[in-house]
Amino acid sequence: MQDTGKNIIIAGVGGQGILLFSNLLSKFYLKLGYELKISDVIGLGQRGGGVESHFRYSDKPILSPFIKAGDVDYVISFEQTETLRYLHCLKDDGIVLSSTYELTSTSVNTGLQKAMPESKTEIIKRAENKKFIIDPEDHKSPDFNISKMMNVVMLGFYAELRGYSHDDMIQIVRESVPEKFVEGNIMAYQKGTEIAKAEIAAD
Amino acid sequence: MMNGNEAVARGAFEAGVKVAAGFPGTPSTEVMDYTHQRYPDIYCEWSTNEKVAVEVAIGASFAGYRSLALMKTVGLHVAADALGGAAGSQINGGLVLVVSDDVGRLAGDDYNDCRHYGNMFGLPMLEPGDSQEAKDFMVKAFEISEEYSTPVILKLTSVTCKTNSRVVIDEDCTYEAKCREKYPISFSKVIMTTIMMKAKGSEHPKLTKCFNDFPAHYKRLTNNCNDYDINQLELNGKKIGIITAGTPYYYAKEVLPEASFLKLGLIMPLPEKKIRELAEHVEELYVIEDGHDILEKNIKDLGISVIGKELWPKFPEMTRFTPDIIEEKLVPGAPKRTPIKDVPFRLPVSCAGCSHLFIAQILRKNKIRAAADVTCGLIGCFPHMEAYDLQKCMGSSIALAHGYNVAKDNKENFVAMIGDGGFWATGLAGLTNLIFNNSQSTVIVVDNSCLAMTGGQNVASSEFGFNYKPENKLDIAKVCEAIGVKDIVTVDAYEYDNLEKSILNAVNAKTNSVVIVKKPCVTKFKLPKNTPSYIDQDLCVKCGKCIKVGCLAIESKKAQDGSVDIVINQDICTGCGLCSTVCHKEAIKQ
Ligand SMILES: Cc1ncc(C[n+]2csc(CCOP(=O)(O)OP(=O)(O)O)c2C)c(N)n1
Ligand code: SF4
Ligand code: SF4
Repeated sequence: MQDTGKNIIIAGVGGQGILLFSNLLSKFYLKLGYELKISDVIGLGQRGGGVESHFRYSDKPILSPFIKAGDVDYVISFEQTETLRYLHCLKDDGIVLSSTYELTSTSVNTGLQKAMPESKTEIIKRAENKKFIIDPEDHKSPDFNISKMMNVVMLGFYAELRGYSHDDMIQIVRESVPEKFVEGNIMAYQKGTEIAKAEIAAD
Repeated sequence: MMNGNEAVARGAFEAGVKVAAGFPGTPSTEVMDYTHQRYPDIYCEWSTNEKVAVEVAIGASFAGYRSLALMKTVGLHVAADALGGAAGSQINGGLVLVVSDDVGRLAGDDYNDCRHYGNMFGLPMLEPGDSQEAKDFMVKAFEISEEYSTPVILKLTSVTCKTNSRVVIDEDCTYEAKCREKYPISFSKVIMTTIMMKAKGSEHPKLTKCFNDFPAHYKRLTNNCNDYDINQLELNGKKIGIITAGTPYYYAKEVLPEASFLKLGLIMPLPEKKIRELAEHVEELYVIEDGHDILEKNIKDLGISVIGKELWPKFPEMTRFTPDIIEEKLVPGAPKRTPIKDVPFRLPVSCAGCSHLFIAQILRKNKIRAAADVTCGLIGCFPHMEAYDLQKCMGSSIALAHGYNVAKDNKENFVAMIGDGGFWATGLAGLTNLIFNNSQSTVIVVDNSCLAMTGGQNVASSEFGFNYKPENKLDIAKVCEAIGVKDIVTVDAYEYDNLEKSILNAVNAKTNSVVIVKKPCVTKFKLPKNTPSYIDQDLCVKCGKCIKVGCLAIESKKAQDGSVDIVINQDICTGCGLCSTVCHKEAIKQ
C-alpha cells in the first residue's frame, strides 16, 4: 500500500544531533515528493535541556506543526527520560525506537526532584506499543564514537525498519555532512542497519 | 524547505530591504544571520540594543529605503519609545519591525505579547502561520508601511520561527533597493496633534506642511483590509466559527475541519465586515489566539460577542495553544491521553567549563550577595546553584546593585554581575549613573567576547562580526576608566585564586570598582579541552558539594546496587578544574 504519510516525534537532549537527524530525514522525504512540516522545539537554557522535533510528512498539505497526542506513528528517542515524555503520544499501533542512554535530569542531580524509582528501560519495555530498545554500550565500535553518532545509527535503524533504500539514504548523508566525517557517518549508519536487521529478526 | 526565520530573511530580500538592524533574542535571532549570509546586498548590523536598532531603521527609512528592525518582544519594551516616535509620522522607505513572541516559553524567558504595542501606537500588525506566509507577509508589510505611511509590525512566534515547511520562491527575483523620498520632513506626532486639536494658528503653512493625518491612514486601512486576501474567510459548517491567526489556525483547522474560519493575516486593524459575516454564519464564535487575549478584546470592542478566555484560561494555565487543547474543549468525547507521571523535568545548566561557573562559585563560597543580569550566568539564580539574590531584565544589574547600596547607606557591597553584551546594551548607562551619583558598588563584567546566551553574536568589544574592524573594537577597561571608575582589574576566569582575590579586593575596597573577567565562551569559540576530571569513588563521600558548582558534566548516577554515585561525564567535561576546588576530600582528580 502506498504510504500516505507519518507523524514522528524525535526526542533527546541538546548536543545529540537531533536537528541533523531530522534534516537528513527531511531530505529523503522531499526526494520522494512528500509535503513536510518539521517543528524544532529546544528547551530552555544552553545545555542539558530537552530537544523535541515534530516531524510530519504526508502526500497532502500538512496543517498543524505539532502532532496531537495519540497521532504519533513513531517516537524516535536518543535519551530514555525523553522517551518517557512522549510514550503516551503514540497511536495504538505506533512504534517506539529508544536508546537506553540516559542523561540524569539536572533537577534530579541537584536533589530538587526525586529520581524515578523504577528503571526507565523497564517502563519502556512495558509499553503496549511495539518497541525497539538500543543500548549503545552493546554496540561500541572502534570505527566511530557511538555516543556521539547515535543519530546516524538511529537513521540506519529507522531506514531498515521502514524498508527504505540505503543507497539513497547514504547518498544524502554523503551530501550533507562535512567531507572528513563522511566515512565515520556511513559506518555508523551501517551499524544502525545491522542492529535493526538483528532486532527485526528476533522480533 | 525553510523555517520561519529563513523565510523572513528571504522576504526582506524580495522586498528590497536596504538596512537591517537588530538585537538578538530567541527565537528570531537567526533572521539576521540568514539575511547576512544569503543576501549580502542588505546592510546588516547587530546594534548595541533594540532601541538603537529601531532608531537606525527609522533613519534609514527616512533616507528613503526599506528598512527593518529585528528583536524579541522584551526588546520591543526597550525600543518602545523609539517606535512611539515613528508611529503616526511620515514614512518614506517602508519601515517594518520584526518582533518575536516566545509563546509558551518554548525556548526562552517571557510571557509578553507584542500586540499590545500595536494597540497602543495604532500600528498595523501581520501574523504569519507558516514559512510561506512569513515570506509573503514580509513583502506585504512593506507595501502597507509605504501605502499607509506607518511603521508595521510583523509578529512571529517561537513556533513560526522554528517550523520548517515548503516555501515557493520566485527564483528570478532580483534584488532592488528603491529610494522613495516622498516626504522631506518627518516629525513625531506632537505637531500633528496640535493641528488636529485646531489650536490657534495651527493653519499656518509652516505647521500644515508637517501635518500627517495618521488617523485617516489607519481608517483607510481599516476599510481596505476587508478585501485583503490574507484575511481569509472560509464559510463552512454553521455550528462552529473560529477567528484565529498564525499557527493556531492550523491546529484548529486540523482538529475541526468542518468549522468555519476567519484566519487573520492582518491582525490589526480588524476587518470588521468579515468578522460580522462569520458571526452571522455560525452559532458559536470562538477566538483562538496564542499569548494574551488581544484579538478577543479588540473584537469585543467592535460589539461582537465571542468566546475566548472563559473557555481557555490564559496564563498561567496556558500560554500557547496546541491541537490537543482545542480538541479537549471543542470535540466532545475525544480520547484523552495522559503522560507518564513524575518524569523529571530538565533545569537549564551552564556548559562545562563556562567562566560564569567560576564567578558563581566564588560569590557563593564567600557569601557575597549579588545581582545577576540576563546572561548565561543567570542560571546561577536557579535553586540548584543559589549564587545570586536578584535578577531582572537585560542590562539592569549595575543599577539594581547601586539602588540596593544607596538604600543601605553603602554599608554593604551588593555586587552586580553583567555580561559584555548587557554591559554595552544598557549596562553602560547604569555604570555612568553609578559613578556620577557617587556609588560604592562593585561590578563584575563577564567578558566572553559575545552574546553567548543567544548563540554568540558580536558585541562592541568582540573581535569578529558583520561590520568588525580592529580599529573600531571598543575596550571595556578603557571605557570604564574614561567614565571614572576608581578600581579596574582584568583577570582570566580560569586563574581561580587570582579571580577570587580580585573580587574580594574589589568588594572590600569601599569605592566603585569593576572586575573584568575574561574568557571566551567555551561553546561559541570551541575552546580546546583539557584532560577531563574524574571522581575517585573510593574517596568520594557523596556530599554533593561539587554538584552545586552547576556544571553539566557532573551527574548523579544510579549504580547497580541502587546507591547513587556522583560521576563526571567524560564526553562533556572540559577539564577546567573548578569542581576540584570545592571537594574537601580531594576525590576529584585529573
Ligand atoms: C531586552 C532584551 N533583549 C534581548 C534579550 C535576549 N537575550 C537574552 S541573554 C542575551 C545575551 C546576553 O549576552 P551577554 O550579556 O554578553 O551575556 P552572556 O550570555 O554572553 O554571558 C540576549 C540578547 C533579552 N533577554 N532582553
Ligand atoms: S554558551 Fe558560553 S557563556 Fe553560555 S553557558 Fe555555555 S560556555 Fe557559558
Ligand atoms: S573539571 Fe569539573 S567543573 Fe570543570 S568541566 Fe570538568 S566536571 Fe565541570
